[in-house]
Amino acid sequence: MNAAIIDMILNKRMEIDGLWSEEIADYKSTNRAITPYMREQLNNEFLSLLFNHISQGDISADGTLERFFDKVLRANMPLEYLTQGLQSFRRIVLEIITEEDIQKDAAFETYREVDRWMDPILNSVVENSSRLWERTVSIQKSALLELSAPLIPVFQHISVMPLIGTIDTERAKLIMENLLEGVIQYRSQVVLIDITGVPVVDTMVAHHIIQAADAVRLLGSTCILVGIRPEIAQTIVSLGIDLSLFPTKSTLQKGMAKALEITNQQIVNEK
Amino acid sequence: MRIPILKLHEYLLITIQVELDDQTALQFQEDLLNKIHDTGAKGVVIDLTSVDMIDSFIAKVLGDVVRMSKLMGAQVVLTGIQPAVAITLIDLGISMREVPTALDLEQGLDKLQLELEG
Amino acid sequence: MDIQSCVEVCNEWDIVSARQLGRNMAKELGFGNVDQARITTAISELARNIYLYAGSGKICLEPVEQMGRKGLRIIAVDNGPGIRDIRKVMEDGYTTSGGLGAGLPGVKRLMDEFTIDSTINSGTEILATKWLR
Ligand SMILES: Nc1ncnc2c1ncn2[C@@H]1O[C@H](COP(=O)(O)OP(=O)(O)OP(=O)(O)O)[C@@H](O)[C@H]1O
Ligand SMILES: [Mg+2]
Repeated sequence: MNAAIIDMILNKRMEIDGLWSEEIADYKSTNRAITPYMREQLNNEFLSLLFNHISQGDISADGTLERFFDKVLRANMPLEYLTQGLQSFRRIVLEIITEEDIQKDAAFETYREVDRWMDPILNSVVENSSRLWERTVSIQKSALLELSAPLIPVFQHISVMPLIGTIDTERAKLIMENLLEGVIQYRSQVVLIDITGVPVVDTMVAHHIIQAADAVRLLGSTCILVGIRPEIAQTIVSLGIDLSLFPTKSTLQKGMAKALEITNQQIVNEK
Repeated sequence: MRIPILKLHEYLLITIQVELDDQTALQFQEDLLNKIHDTGAKGVVIDLTSVDMIDSFIAKVLGDVVRMSKLMGAQVVLTGIQPAVAITLIDLGISMREVPTALDLEQGLDKLQLELEG
Repeated sequence: MDIQSCVEVCNEWDIVSARQLGRNMAKELGFGNVDQARITTAISELARNIYLYAGSGKICLEPVEQMGRKGLRIIAVDNGPGIRDIRKVMEDGYTTSGGLGAGLPGVKRLMDEFTIDSTINSGTEILATKWLR
């Protein structure tokens, strides 16, 4: 960039700082733990990065920006803080430059230069935030997949797996693996699979459940299917699905009673 | 390669700890039936804890062993089938529903005791 | 290890070698415990079919990469009698040898991709791929 323009911008740093801080004061973190002081620090860092970009040349490639963006997003500042911060900065810089007495074509040239000079930073914002977004989505997706099928040891030798939500083939595989690993880990002789939270039981879902029960049996444990609501019993029978091979109960309580019976355990009331 | 068969009271215990090739599997089938014949064993526990793969051939041999032993008056329980093995068996469409199973050797023996008494 | 590794299948012991090679490659590629078992079992099924029905042939394994995904491909080739009715051999329980008839339909379920190409009196080629999750 033209050395004279750079000098001009750097000389007006105080003025730019004041205008800019005022314009972006509205963007607040959704995180209460971010104090006004921390906000001010963030602003200062943002601004000095931008001034560095002017005085030392393009900083979009050396990682400084990424680190700052990461910090901003981790502080739960909205993405607008970055985009508006950049746009305000550009507008203020342009206003200040054009206030100076310069010729028309020189002014035009300056506009173009400032634009060109902002581009890599804007690109980097977009790139960074979309990457972060993708990462978040994929982390959440896998967390959801894993969390959604925990095996819970309840009594000695008895565990419960509550299934909640729809079951597709990918989830069915995961459920099966969690179930079997859990059976081994807790040495469960009986596993209650609770389908109260499964909205639709069609042939496919029933097939996955039967497979899971068969696999549990191969390990040497017993599966009891519980939480069979009336409408689910209706669909199971009208679809011709055969669940007679392993015990089923309408409620978790009844299933638990059966499980205690199988494992030769009793719940006693001590007076 | 021969798989050792241990005798414990009226039971036979087998822990499979080698990679099962076809010959070893068939040899084992023969050895076990002979041992049941010689000892009059009432129950058999085959522990598969160390087995990391069961294909359709080995599954068939195991299923056959269970049925043949039963014909000779010995109840067989398979124990220690690993999760990964169970999952591949299910993928193969082999659920061995008629074969008794237990989590480990100890529970396998308990199961035999129960079934032979009841 | 971008190249194929192959095992000639002529006898029962070769079935064991083929699946051991499969287990090692699957482990090296980063497949989990369950998928290792799936891959090993699929290889065992295909190798035994070659031994039983074609007499001899080979099992080749190769790491594959497609659209950023990594995987392992099993290629089972023989110059045996071929398969007359492919739809039939893909049915659960169909067997001509007193087996369980679980092999081929099982391999299809164990793996993510499965193709079978067979010509009567000329031979059979089966490709089966598993992708890393
Ligand atoms: N490579 C091959 N060449 C010719 N025929 C084959 C080949 N592979 C399979 N077949 C035919 O397909 C049938 C089905 O094979 P599949 O592996 O599904 O079952 P199987 O080998 O009979 O029994 P299992 O695999 O359960 O022990 C076989 O019985 C055989 O007739
Ligand atoms: Mg076969």
